[in-house]
Amino acid sequence: MTLTAARPRAAARSGRPSGGAGDRGTLEARAPRRRLSPEKIAAGLTLVALVVASVVSLVSIDISIPQMIESWGNAQNFFERVGVISFPEPGDLLYLTALTVGLVLCGTLFAAFFSVPIAFLAAANTTPGRGWMVAGRFAGVFFRAVPDVVLAMVFVLMFSLGSLPGILAIGIHSIGMISKMFADAIEQIDEGPRLAIRAAGGTTLQEFTSGILPQVLPSWVATVLHRNDINLRGSVILGYVGVVGLGLEMSYAFKSLDYSLGLGIALIIFALCVVMEIVSSVVRTAMLGFAPTRRSLGDRLLRRLGMRGRRVDPADTSAASAALARKMSRADARTAALRRPWDAARRRNTVWGWAAGLVIIGSVLISDIQWGDFVTFWGYLPETAAKFWPPSFGSYDAPTMIAAMGETIAIALAATILTIIASIVIGSLAARNVAPSPRVRSGMRLVLVSIRGIPEIILAIVLIVVTGLGTQAGTIALAIGGIGLLGKLLADSLEEVKPGPEQALTAAGASRLQVYAGATAPQGMKALIGHSFYMLDTNIRAATILGLVGGGGVGYFLLNAGQGSRYDLVTTIVVMILVTVLVVEALAMWMRRVFR
Amino acid sequence: MRELSSETNTATDAAASVIEVANVTKTFGDTVALNGASLSVRRGEIVVLLGLSGSGKSTLLRHLDGLEEPDSGTVTVLGEPVSTLAGKRLRALRGRVGFIFQQFELVPSLTVLENVLTGALARVSGPRLGLWGYNRALRLAALGHLDRVGLLAQAYQRADTLSGGQQQRVGIARALMQNPEILLADEPVASLDPESSDQVMALIREIAMDQGLTVVCSLHQVDLALSWGDRIVGLRHGEVVLDTPAAGLSKAAVMEIYGRVATTTAELDAIATELESARATDLIGATAESAR
Repeated sequence: MTLTAARPRAAARSGRPSGGAGDRGTLEARAPRRRLSPEKIAAGLTLVALVVASVVSLVSIDISIPQMIESWGNAQNFFERVGVISFPEPGDLLYLTALTVGLVLCGTLFAAFFSVPIAFLAAANTTPGRGWMVAGRFAGVFFRAVPDVVLAMVFVLMFSLGSLPGILAIGIHSIGMISKMFADAIEQIDEGPRLAIRAAGGTTLQEFTSGILPQVLPSWVATVLHRNDINLRGSVILGYVGVVGLGLEMSYAFKSLDYSLGLGIALIIFALCVVMEIVSSVVRTAMLGFAPTRRSLGDRLLRRLGMRGRRVDPADTSAASAALARKMSRADARTAALRRPWDAARRRNTVWGWAAGLVIIGSVLISDIQWGDFVTFWGYLPETAAKFWPPSFGSYDAPTMIAAMGETIAIALAATILTIIASIVIGSLAARNVAPSPRVRSGMRLVLVSIRGIPEIILAIVLIVVTGLGTQAGTIALAIGGIGLLGKLLADSLEEVKPGPEQALTAAGASRLQVYAGATAPQGMKALIGHSFYMLDTNIRAATILGLVGGGGVGYFLLNAGQGSRYDLVTTIVVMILVTVLVVEALAMWMRRVFR
Repeated sequence: MRELSSETNTATDAAASVIEVANVTKTFGDTVALNGASLSVRRGEIVVLLGLSGSGKSTLLRHLDGLEEPDSGTVTVLGEPVSTLAGKRLRALRGRVGFIFQQFELVPSLTVLENVLTGALARVSGPRLGLWGYNRALRLAALGHLDRVGLLAQAYQRADTLSGGQQQRVGIARALMQNPEILLADEPVASLDPESSDQVMALIREIAMDQGLTVVCSLHQVDLALSWGDRIVGLRHGEVVLDTPAAGLSKAAVMEIYGRVATTTAELDAIATELESARATDLIGATAESAR
């Protein structure tokens, strides 16, 4: 009965003519109206407002192509003046490189260590209570919002010189992202094995170590390696606030106008970032035993070299032990089986385990951590804290600082919209299901990974050389840097859409562009919105940091305040940045919820 | 062997019921999963919970291991009031009751042996990482259980490299690792092909009889239930509608069972189809025999 009643409505919705031409009018009357929730309308309007604001920002920053071409002459002059690029002494260079890598690694591991309990509290399926979950998630957002540069500035004051300020700054800031990704991984596990351990009488801790940890470990390792790459790129900027390593040497070189050495170090950092990406790709492949996704530069090179991750064939080891078992008595076979055979998987795990252990020990040793600082630190704490409190605008007035913050936001917005436009083109062409040919796809993917390899700060320095100091350089640097990330995320999302609708449209005779507009893009829209907000979030923090090297905005004031020991002003600026980032984060969460 | 053990059981603990479920009701939101269900199982019995999906079989089994708390009623297992237990005592009881899952629920990235060893977690304290977190005696015992289910050679393979039937045998070995007194199995063969199903069901019965275990196993196939269990308990809409020995049931009684566990016309249709195919198999069997 209900079935028959539902039929005409279903027919009307699917748009099929349910009768003759005579009842067309009634069909229109019967057709349900499209309903939009007020929340969706509000979210849509906010989105439009943001786009308008971005375009206005872009216009106000006034990036003029002719001017840039003109200033290309400056660049030529500049490079002529620099002459040959020079490098530090080989011994120094080796030490500085090892120190930078070791320090970054220590920071990342520090973050990974403390992220585990935070993730445990923040994941919906492991948290002891809703309050804990909110606290865990908020801790992540908070740590993410505090720029590592600001942390480094504070820690440089509190610790004797050395690597510790850098390690802690990287570590604490990274907890934000790592704990979030760890928690997300926990939420995605299969609950079954965990239930099985509970059913066998395991404790909550045992459920975690035996049921959850083995499931999340591959994803956790990938997260830590990914974050380590980001941290290495970010470590350059830490040099500007006094953290030891290649970044510090580079900042000295530029400050003393030794451009030839500065650019030399910049080149080395770029090379180091590429090498690191290759290394983490190799580690990911080897430790986790799955074939590379061929998405990063390292994976690409690996594939070229024919070193793909190979899975161990289970048949050969089991056949061997079965043959062994046949020759022995049952009890003997069991005792013999106590010794785990040295199959390829075990050999691989052992080698990588030892290698990882040695690298970690090496990192700690080279970082030369002043453990004593952890004791004396508490003595400095009240004194340092007093310097930062109460916040004040220092010698500036509130409108100046708010205008500076506004400029930073404008840079971030303008850069984000540029990135989005470029990423839609490059990212779409880099997606397997959109690219007109595999060659175009791999070409675009190569563009994306190359961009990702360049630390934004180096991009900014080069651009400042080209366009001169100011907001333009910062905006373009961020926009280009963002393409590497957003383009990749978008391409991945487009490749993950359901192929069914695309096939349906192709079967209906749609052109390639029609398929893209009708089936691929609508499915990827949600991902685009989510990723774009992530980009904006990243860009606001990055826009601050670029200000440190002359990219305009509030970062310039931050650097001055830090160098002029106006720590109350630093607090004010940090609070402004924090509020902005949290607002963007809240907006992003709202959008994700509404456009689910 | 079976007769002997059941006789000794009747002699020593005739009245010893190891599972006592009294008037248990459980609702999830608006759905009533169990509606005043009662069940009593004696030591060494092999009981099948029969019913269609949604009849409350899984919920009842989960109550027996303290994985669900009843809204009302009491559950007593091995003399312990499961429904009121918590913490250490609940975990100790869970250690004495093995549970076999429909989806096996192995940790895919761990080796088979590590998965079996997790069955010993109730007996050791604290977290255990990797193979060497368990002592030699436990590892040897785990290998013994793997040998029992015929998977000794696969001990160091990753669990997800095994076939479904093999994975369920690992699930059985993991339950045996607990040295359980009771074995609970929730649709243990619903995700398996017919051949592996037969192997797994035969293995569970064999082990249960060898070790004198009490078994409560939920199934939805009447034919399998009748040929495998000693006693059939039928569930419908969370109520026990049938409780009968499995042996010597007449064809009419079987039809009656089908009628009892099913309620709606759709369900009856499904059963008719099942009967049809069962008859077809019988026919094929008969033809094959006559040909011989």
